[in-house]
Amino acid sequence: MAYAYLFKYIIIGDTGVGKSCLLLQFTDKRFQPVHDLTIGVEFGARMITIDGKQIKLQIWDTAGQESFRSITRSYYRGAAGALLVYDITRRDTFNHLTTWLEDARQHSNSNMVIMLIANKSDLESRREVKKEEGEAFAREHGLIFMETSAKTASNVEEAFINTAKEIYEKIQEGVFDINNEANGIKIGPQNPMPGPTGPHNAGQAGGSCC
Amino acid sequence: MLTRMKSAVANFMGGIMAGSSGSDHSNGSELPMRFPYVRPEFLGLSQDEIECSADHIARPILILKETKRLPWSTGYAEVINAGKSTHNEDQASCEVMIVKKKTGVQSTPNKTSSNKRRSSLPNGEGLQLKESTEVDGITFQYWALFDGHAGAGAAVVASKLLHHHIVEQLQDVVDILKNSAVLPPTCLGEDPETTSANSRTLTRAASLRGAAGAPGSPSTPQTRFFTEKKVPHECLVIGALENAFKEMDLQIERERSAYSISGGCTALIVVYLLGKIYVANAGDSRAIIIRNGEIIPMSSEFTPETERQRLQYLVSPTKEALVHLFLNIFLAYKTIEEDDLKFPLIYGEGKKARVMATIGVTRGLGDHDLKVHDSNIYIKPFLSSVPEVRVYDLLQYEHGADDVLVLATDGLWDVLLNEEVSEAVTNFLACCDPDDPHRYTLAAQDLVMRARGVLKDRGWRISNDRLGSGDDISVYVIPLIHGNKLT
Ligand SMILES: Nc1nc2c(ncn2[C@@H]2O[C@H](COP(=O)(O)OP(=O)(O)O)[C@@H](O)[C@H]2O)c(=O)[nH]1
Ligand SMILES: [Mg+2]
Repeated sequence: MAYAYLFKYIIIGDTGVGKSCLLLQFTDKRFQPVHDLTIGVEFGARMITIDGKQIKLQIWDTAGQESFRSITRSYYRGAAGALLVYDITRRDTFNHLTTWLEDARQHSNSNMVIMLIANKSDLESRREVKKEEGEAFAREHGLIFMETSAKTASNVEEAFINTAKEIYEKIQEGVFDINNEANGIKIGPQNPMPGPTGPHNAGQAGGSCC
Repeated sequence: MLTRMKSAVANFMGGIMAGSSGSDHSNGSELPMRFPYVRPEFLGLSQDEIECSADHIARPILILKETKRLPWSTGYAEVINAGKSTHNEDQASCEVMIVKKKTGVQSTPNKTSSNKRRSSLPNGEGLQLKESTEVDGITFQYWALFDGHAGAGAAVVASKLLHHHIVEQLQDVVDILKNSAVLPPTCLGEDPETTSANSRTLTRAASLRGAAGAPGSPSTPQTRFFTEKKVPHECLVIGALENAFKEMDLQIERERSAYSISGGCTALIVVYLLGKIYVANAGDSRAIIIRNGEIIPMSSEFTPETERQRLQYLVSPTKEALVHLFLNIFLAYKTIEEDDLKFPLIYGEGKKARVMATIGVTRGLGDHDLKVHDSNIYIKPFLSSVPEVRVYDLLQYEHGADDVLVLATDGLWDVLLNEEVSEAVTNFLACCDPDDPHRYTLAAQDLVMRARGVLKDRGWRISNDRLGSGDDISVYVIPLIHGNKLT
């Protein structure tokens, strides 16, 4: 399907926080209580509309376990957005955010938009991390923040779309070099003004449509 | 493969390159594709997933999904190249097949989805405990890797059809194989002198000289577990595999008139049949068995360098052939300086060696339209579709959970030695739960990661800051312990 832009996202965070469930809720609009442990990388894709433009999101869901960390790290490259997820019912997943953030900053391009996601908001009775703590962490590190539930779908749509809006704004401001595929953005065939084109760019458009 | 080919040609011809390379429609034909570009069927990828996987920047390592199972809990992982071609030109297939005696009408492998195929997904779980001598047929397990060059066409076609050719060939001998009391016809003339040190190599390909003493397998341990005389049943299977390769190649040649089948491919296949593992190889992929930490090479590579003898043998015995060859070159180059007429049969050395400066593998399928650059000389007569077949008796040894057969395309072996692969697999498996069904897939993922490396400022790097592989990399890790259950 034709799109104006393609954004690549990566979902990171400790194992069990709900990364795969968030992706499934966003792409398929369903919740699967028992999800297989992700041991490699899994992909999802969905079309959204921002500012009247069709944008294709290509989402990489990664394995959170320590033993796969070096593989996961190698996937930050070429991502325009990252969803950093923790579980509000497990404080340790919140405590590990700093490590994840360091990893992300070190291995991604500096303009990558990071959305901090506090998942499992439906489990209010088992909450271990207050919403204010998440907000404070996000503010301190310059991240966007949302509480979501992959189970009830609360805020899931918003989390993915707000990240895309932020990326889109950065494109408008000229922060992203959209002709460099390493930034996780591709220009689609239907884009009205694809910017300065070279042979490289023409190849990209061709490769992405099939 | 393509990059190497391109640069060799470019070097030779002074930088002039005809046609585009990344695209698979470079032959400019309007013919429909025989099969659309795909990834291995057993990966079960959607179109979106295939699109994501073709990321030359992050190079995601694809593995078998948790819900998919291959025969014997085989592990599999692959990664795309670093940008040399749009597509991943490696292909793989894995099947459980049944051979039944031919009944009257001849079936052609063109018509797939016949009853020969037991299930659309190679999920052999239910089959593997039933040993293969059923009343009405013989079951075999099949694993295959194809490394395409100059387009994905031939590799895709071979991955879809080669196993049907194998069934077709085995149908002729199924009665003899099933009934060990029946004496098979005499084995076709093999060349005993080409028997290699570590495993018996029974192949007519070997008699074309050149297979023996092939380099590329750094270690050749003196394991001699094949001490008994040649077993005629083996010869029948080996002959069937050789013929299947030839038939596959002929089919590609025939169908070129109706379809666009781009490029060529190497083929490395494993068949498990009646207690024995057959490894058939045409090209530069490689198979090794890692048993109790010991390496047993199960294939040798066929490149211009390793096949120097066969290629020269093709030309030298008859002066006529030589004259003919040079006549062709003269005709093609009559306007060129004398210096350019010295088109060597083999150009370059080592990994860079090319047949007439054009192609880096000397055995494989396809390449029927390949010509020496800027000329009308076809390369195909110098290539061979006949595989070298090696046999391993699975039942002669009690295998442990960490004993495996590793198959991989040259993307892995270009950067890792057999010893490094063996050590990595052995260490990896030692750390995982022996009952974890994913352990072999995780081991394959680990191998791909070690060969791909990580992207640094100066390109993809692996351990000791060596250059990682920028090629497509595909790896099977096949546990041999299933052989124990079969006895
Ligand atoms: N109650 C509730 N459970 C969730 C939610 N998201 C995920 N889970 C559960 O958390 C577990 C781990 O989810 P998964 O997506 O596999 O985590 P991942 O390892 O981060 O991919 C599963 O058992 C899910 O059912 C949520 O929003 N609410
Ligand atoms: Mg997961």
